[in-house]
Amino acid sequence: MINLVGIGLLVIYFFILIAIGFYGGRIARKTREDYFMAGRGLGSIAVFMALFASNITAFTIIGHAGFAYETGYGAYGYVIGWSIFITPFTYYLVGYRSWLLGKRYGFATQPQVFGGIFKSKLVSLLFLVFLLYYTLPYLVVSIIGGGLAFTTVTEGMVPYWLSALVIIGISLVYTIPAGLRGTVWTDIFQGTLFLVVAVMLLSAVARALGGFSEITADIVRDNPAMLQRGLSEELAPINWFSYSFINSIAVIVFPQIYTRILAARSSLNLKQVSMYYPLALAVIFGVSTLMGVWGSVAVPGLEGQEADNIVPMLIHQFLSPTWMVLGLVVVLAIVKSSIDSQLLAVSHLVTVDFLPRFKRLSSMQAVFWGRILLVIFAGIAFYVALIQPGAILSIAGFAFSGFSVMLPVMIGALYWPRANKYGATAALIVPAVMLHLWYLDVLPRWTTFGFMPVFPSFVLAILVLIVVSYLTPAPPPEQREKTFGLFERVFQ
Amino acid sequence: MTFRIRFFLVCMIVLVMFLLHNSFFLWNLDGYVPLLFGFMPFAYSYYVGYAILAVLAMKLISDLAWPDPPEEITSQFGDKESSKQ
Repeated sequence: MINLVGIGLLVIYFFILIAIGFYGGRIARKTREDYFMAGRGLGSIAVFMALFASNITAFTIIGHAGFAYETGYGAYGYVIGWSIFITPFTYYLVGYRSWLLGKRYGFATQPQVFGGIFKSKLVSLLFLVFLLYYTLPYLVVSIIGGGLAFTTVTEGMVPYWLSALVIIGISLVYTIPAGLRGTVWTDIFQGTLFLVVAVMLLSAVARALGGFSEITADIVRDNPAMLQRGLSEELAPINWFSYSFINSIAVIVFPQIYTRILAARSSLNLKQVSMYYPLALAVIFGVSTLMGVWGSVAVPGLEGQEADNIVPMLIHQFLSPTWMVLGLVVVLAIVKSSIDSQLLAVSHLVTVDFLPRFKRLSSMQAVFWGRILLVIFAGIAFYVALIQPGAILSIAGFAFSGFSVMLPVMIGALYWPRANKYGATAALIVPAVMLHLWYLDVLPRWTTFGFMPVFPSFVLAILVLIVVSYLTPAPPPEQREKTFGLFERVFQ
Repeated sequence: MTFRIRFFLVCMIVLVMFLLHNSFFLWNLDGYVPLLFGFMPFAYSYYVGYAILAVLAMKLISDLAWPDPPEEITSQFGDKESSKQ
């Protein structure tokens, strides 16, 4: 049961978030650039924590620990191994060139960057539609994960619907007044908080279970399969390889991540972020992997979605109530830092890429509509989170796959002058349709040749982009010059 | 060294990191050397090492093929924005 100290900690945590929102709202200028892009003035620490905290979702603590509970230490490499390198690499590969275009031409979102490169309203619209379509389920997953954890830790005292409402409500309190600046400041606070407290929690759980060596010895004795990747069906090499195309390369496509990269002040900020990002990812997933594997011997016998609650269960069974609240704060910090950025991202996309198709908005009107849309999307996400469609991992997996198959078009646009709007349009639509046909079991699974659907869809996106671009007219030289002329001046 | 060659080297770094991640032939070591130094599970510590390698790889990539932009490129949009406000 939560004690007074715990309630005090929760109150302080919420108070800090609200204070940040209030202060951010007071100093923010009411312009589109300032509200959605923080004036493109984010420094290294701000960008780092904004990307890291936005990237880490409920899945890290809830889904991943549950997965490690079932599959062992191999879950670490399977889920995050390739991401440790390739995610920061995509910040260079896609992020830096996009940042240059943003600085040069004022682009702030993917529909603007890629619609601008291809000079195509259709490409811009497709980016908008797909990004919204994949971000909303991902947002719902975060709310479901956070809501379940909140309810579990409070032993049902706070019902699920109220947990979800609190999580969204507090996120709105600081996001509405302060926009990106507010979410970035809270990201710095929440990201630091969940990194530090997660490591503290891990060492407390380790002590409670007899120490690191003792637990590992228990695992070797009671559940040795946890140490061997080759013994897990789920970690089969073909799945391992396929998963490289889901989790890791999707991150740069997330609109909340992409926009934050464009909001960096300088090239140096992005370099520093890319260099230290692997360590932060390794630490937070390292903690949840150990919690999951340790849980398999400390609290054996959990199956399916039950295993997703292993972290709250470990804290509940082996630590004092104050630790339980600290665990809850970690989960809340992780969940809320991704929810606020996702909410702001979808509101930003609709405000700057959809509404202007019907009505020209002044800078101040854009801020007004951005705030209204934040509330609307929060309401939709809350409602869907109450219905709870599907298991956490499969929803996240589907949204991640959807983002991943958009990457070939982004890379093609930034590196291949021959890529044109026809190729980009086809390469956005065809793989997305195929992905749905496979996930909805319209096409038999043998047609993926044993791979997860994301891999053939990804390959298809590359092929379609190349073939259709070659079969249709090349972009005019002045259009290419706008993008590649700029790059030639930088990359010498 | 031209940018094209430097970028080729970057691609090689990516390839090496990809192969190190998909190094299924090393999975047998999970059974042969289950615990490194007697307490660190091999499947886990492999990725601790991989993370350190990733930091070095990003540093190398940054030095090889990540030039800072000339100031006139990044200042143009900023100038236009500030003149509007």
